[in-house]
Amino acid sequence: MKEEQNHEKAKRFGMVIDLDKCTGCGACMVACMSENNVPFKEDESKKLDSITWLRVYKLTNGKPFPDAEICYLPRPCQHCGGKGDHGHSPCVSVCPATATDYSNDTGIVSQIYTRCFGCRYCMAACPYHARYFNWWDPVWPDGMEKYLSPNVSVRMRGIVEKCSFCFHRYQIAMEKAHYEGRGELEENEYQTACTQACPANAITFGDLNNPGHAVHELKKDKNAFRLLERLQTNTKVYYISSREWVRRAGDNYLEKEKK
Amino acid sequence: MKIDRRCFLSLGIGGAAGIALSPLPWKLADDSAIWTQMWPWTPVPADGEVTYVKSACTLCPGGCGISVRKVGNRAVKIEGIEGHPVNDGGICPLGLSGLQLLYGPTRVKSPLKRTGERGEGKWEKISWEEAITEVSKKLGDLRGKGESDSVACISGSDKGTVPALFKRFMSVFGSPNFMRMPSIQDSYEIANNVSMGFIAQSGFDLEKADFVLSFGSGLIEGWGSPVRMIRANSSWRKAGVKVVQVEPRLSNTAAKSDKWIPVNPGTEYALALGLAHVIIRESLYRKDFVQAGALGFIRFRDLILSSYSPESVEKITGVKKETIESLAADFAKSERPIAICGRGQGKAQSSLGELLAVQALNALAGNIGREGGVFAVNDPAYIAWPAYQADETAAAGIKKERIDGAGSVKYGFAKSLTNRFAGAVNSGAPVSLLFVLESNPLYSLPDTKAVKDAFKKIPFIVSFSSFMDDTALNSDIILPNHVYLERYEDVPATAGLSKPVVSLARPVVSPQFNTKHAGDVIILIAKEMGSPVADAFPWDDYQACLEGTAGDKWKILNEEGFSSDPAFTAQVVNTFPGKFDISGGIPDFTILFASVSHEGDPKAYPLFLMPYDSFRIASGYIGDPPFVIKTVEDTVLKGKDILVEINPATAKANGLSAGSYATLKTPKGSARVKINLFEGIMPGLVAMPRGLGHTAYDNYLAGKGINVNELIGTVEDPASGLDAAWGIRANLIKA
Amino acid sequence: MSKPDDKTTGISADTDSTEAEVSSAGGIAKGQGDEVGGFVILFFIIGFVASLIIGWVVFPKLLYSQKTQPIDFNHALHLEAVSDGCESCHIFRDDGTFAGVPGNAQCSDCHQEVQGDSPEEKKFVEEYVAKEREVPWLIYSKQPDCVFFSHAAHVKKAKMECVTCHGPIGESTSLKVYEENRLTGYSRDIWGKNIAGVKRETWDRMKMDDCAECHEKAAGKKSSVQTDKEACFVCHK
Repeated sequence: MKEEQNHEKAKRFGMVIDLDKCTGCGACMVACMSENNVPFKEDESKKLDSITWLRVYKLTNGKPFPDAEICYLPRPCQHCGGKGDHGHSPCVSVCPATATDYSNDTGIVSQIYTRCFGCRYCMAACPYHARYFNWWDPVWPDGMEKYLSPNVSVRMRGIVEKCSFCFHRYQIAMEKAHYEGRGELEENEYQTACTQACPANAITFGDLNNPGHAVHELKKDKNAFRLLERLQTNTKVYYISSREWVRRAGDNYLEKEKK
Repeated sequence: MKIDRRCFLSLGIGGAAGIALSPLPWKLADDSAIWTQMWPWTPVPADGEVTYVKSACTLCPGGCGISVRKVGNRAVKIEGIEGHPVNDGGICPLGLSGLQLLYGPTRVKSPLKRTGERGEGKWEKISWEEAITEVSKKLGDLRGKGESDSVACISGSDKGTVPALFKRFMSVFGSPNFMRMPSIQDSYEIANNVSMGFIAQSGFDLEKADFVLSFGSGLIEGWGSPVRMIRANSSWRKAGVKVVQVEPRLSNTAAKSDKWIPVNPGTEYALALGLAHVIIRESLYRKDFVQAGALGFIRFRDLILSSYSPESVEKITGVKKETIESLAADFAKSERPIAICGRGQGKAQSSLGELLAVQALNALAGNIGREGGVFAVNDPAYIAWPAYQADETAAAGIKKERIDGAGSVKYGFAKSLTNRFAGAVNSGAPVSLLFVLESNPLYSLPDTKAVKDAFKKIPFIVSFSSFMDDTALNSDIILPNHVYLERYEDVPATAGLSKPVVSLARPVVSPQFNTKHAGDVIILIAKEMGSPVADAFPWDDYQACLEGTAGDKWKILNEEGFSSDPAFTAQVVNTFPGKFDISGGIPDFTILFASVSHEGDPKAYPLFLMPYDSFRIASGYIGDPPFVIKTVEDTVLKGKDILVEINPATAKANGLSAGSYATLKTPKGSARVKINLFEGIMPGLVAMPRGLGHTAYDNYLAGKGINVNELIGTVEDPASGLDAAWGIRANLIKA
Repeated sequence: MSKPDDKTTGISADTDSTEAEVSSAGGIAKGQGDEVGGFVILFFIIGFVASLIIGWVVFPKLLYSQKTQPIDFNHALHLEAVSDGCESCHIFRDDGTFAGVPGNAQCSDCHQEVQGDSPEEKKFVEEYVAKEREVPWLIYSKQPDCVFFSHAAHVKKAKMECVTCHGPIGESTSLKVYEENRLTGYSRDIWGKNIAGVKRETWDRMKMDDCAECHEKAAGKKSSVQTDKEACFVCHK
């Protein structure tokens, strides 16, 4: 329906996360919180209401000692393109407020906090639990609001928020490019906060459509997979694991089903 | 003529029509919508010019370079410096949260003097002049009475100019008691002293190693310089370097390794000796390195061949003899294999025997002092201050035996044995005044009760902490230091690095509160005390001292943020073949290589409690800031309850199930815990994370979980005085 | 609303309408009714006019609080003295961000000392430059926090004139009163001076629709799946 834009120039920003390298240290989670003014409260052990745009899940292979294995899996918003990549991601399709939107230019699923009225349909629709609801107004201890970044709006009670692939970094990089008379960004000019912080260099971020970007090749790795691919959400976050049980954990299978 | 209700109705209708034809309803609707979208109480961060300040992180000994983003005069984000030799752009969760410490509610905002009971939290604000005069007067009185050696200092580190100033102060004042918090560094120093004849740390050229054998070290969980280690791990994955992890619990390091070998806890040394047995038996070792003139090697060989066959080691360690055989062959046949020890993050010491057994593997592989191997690394060399005149009091004072016994006849190999501090004070060693610098001993030392008792015996405790931590809360006077983001300081990164780096912490923002640089405070105290103490501090202030010390490197430190010039940072000692003596002239091997005995009756305490380190729980001087505590899984901390890991088999045997409450009892104390079932832990073990159970700090951290140090004690290694405990006997009773 | 249909008559208005008919037909007897009818119209008119006055005149006065700028700045005078138009003082930083209102550092190049005899300048030098305080300027065109506006994209890339959005502020000799919406905290310039929201010039209003209008016409992008316009994240953060 909206195919006017030039598909050659359209970008699809995405991530490839190497689970063999990921150590589960949690730096990506904190980098994200610190970059995006994510609030916190006294008790964050109720994980369902603990706002973590990027959450590192701990997977186990379910085998008894000493054959037990662990793998960590960082889960940002998957920025689903939907079937055929038309932008009909689960959340965008259900939002009654035009608060969440899909951009055909960047492939990023956006969330506009001032439009959101908190119906939480999108949370129900998201198969990845990537969306979080602000049950309370954010409160920073006296003086701590000094570290808040002006690049990302502070959210208020009653709205849904989620990972934006640090879109503000794209805005800032583009602003510099415009100032310097350039129309395009270099690969390293737009990187998400988690990618930048990861001590293991496990996260690679870039334009999946651009053959010059590392993610373009990495996503073709023989051990690459996406989460819940059978739902045809067509996500933009790829994972690499050399372990079969981890790749299998990326989707739901019937007990006896072979992949 | 009558105005009836119809007129008023009409007025209303007219009014309504008029309002409808005015912009009022539409404008008001729009404005109300905007108002509800942006509540006035939601903070709007001010915009401004963006700048970056290069500095160094001091939150752990890792020494990462950081780049702090500022908007106007506010610091808004901490990032790693790309190209920095330690972390090359990477950064850990704690380092990322530094601004929550800088702007956080736990800062001590001015000098404080205790008014209530210790620990009660009643303070009086005093001026810096008053504070310095009070401390100087106390010190002067002690010195006048000839009790200068009863002053002690516990510092988080002994590297860099600030600890050096404190050390210098102690010496010229007349006390030998400058101590640093215990860590695996103590063990490595003693092991190097024993086997090579000089005190040095160990550096590991891990990026170039081709086989890594770790005896319980949390290689990717904060051991050494944490970010550098994770970077190294990624390079191993890429290059296909084999990593073998020996430990009783499936830690993240074990989970990431190529092979996890669960071993009976505390028997790592025996496995190392068993591997040495195979290597020597099969003649797989580098003879020129260990044999040239080394009498020690022959004694070592005889002991190993007679007592540590794979069969007997299997009985001790629980590791199958076939595994031992093949692991030994894999290790010895690699080009550049490295064996590492230091459990978890290396926050606790290990016995000398364990260190020597592991270092023996490196020696047998000939992988000491060469690329891809283990190096002996001297302390940073750049601090060379003019000698000072010691008067009689000072000369007599520093000759006295240290409180912790380090350097005495019995503990001759050691430089610092702070693990023995509490025990010594409790058995009568006099301490009249204690400085606490960048450390939290009341929380971090094992056997909290003994430490608390020891602190009660000390009449005057001076804390230099920037934060109201557990020790500061229990001190008599707090002289708050600037936070690292507000001060200049040299940051020597030495933790396990084969090529040491010195970085410069720089003020990113101006001091937020009425705090003072600890370096300045110690200089001021010295000056207040007058000659001869004052004469040893010729600098106007700390800044002058630091610039003078850095000399011609000051410019580079300021521009680049770091220097890795070996002439400046530290010398790597050339370890010639034959200079390495495994036995170190220790006459009796039996005290060296013996299982650690554990406190408690096995019948009353059938299980073992082992502390473990997590990357997401800071357990050093700094407690978890809100961001980091948020990343802790709900299988570790739920509400205020701590969860301990046990094997489902252990649970079944004790009638426990997932999520149930239990009382965890050890000879040192008991605590209420919740149960988390984990298939990755050996049956019979109970694992509890370090770093929770703070009594101080803010509501985001205080009162959550249990401090494992309250439940464990120390077990002295007879060969060295090091703390050899890896855990303690325990019992779990269904609550 | 205006058609009296069956329902309204049925419910309430039949007495009214009969009386009105009678009085207009004959003018006899029922003087009371006649007068009441007049009053009804009069009251309607009073209500109507009063509420129009409230809506058009009183309401805007109540809605906006008035604040004067700390210094009455003369744009016209400065524009004559500089060579590079608006950008001489309203500069872009090297990273492409727009610095907005200049700070003391820029002004004090010339105004370290008092230059002329303007009392406003004297105030600026004495109260701000000398005391190293920044002037708390009130920004007429300040957008809310949810907006990311790139001056570089508009001025450098799209080559738009400053006047297009900001109007001929450069020709002014003194700063107008800053009006702040008591409800939203926005500057009045966002909605526009005209309380009805009528827009004559491009700079009269700075609401989202005004941005969108131009984005649709000039950029012509339809990257948003939801709106068939340009994607939300282009201007929102």
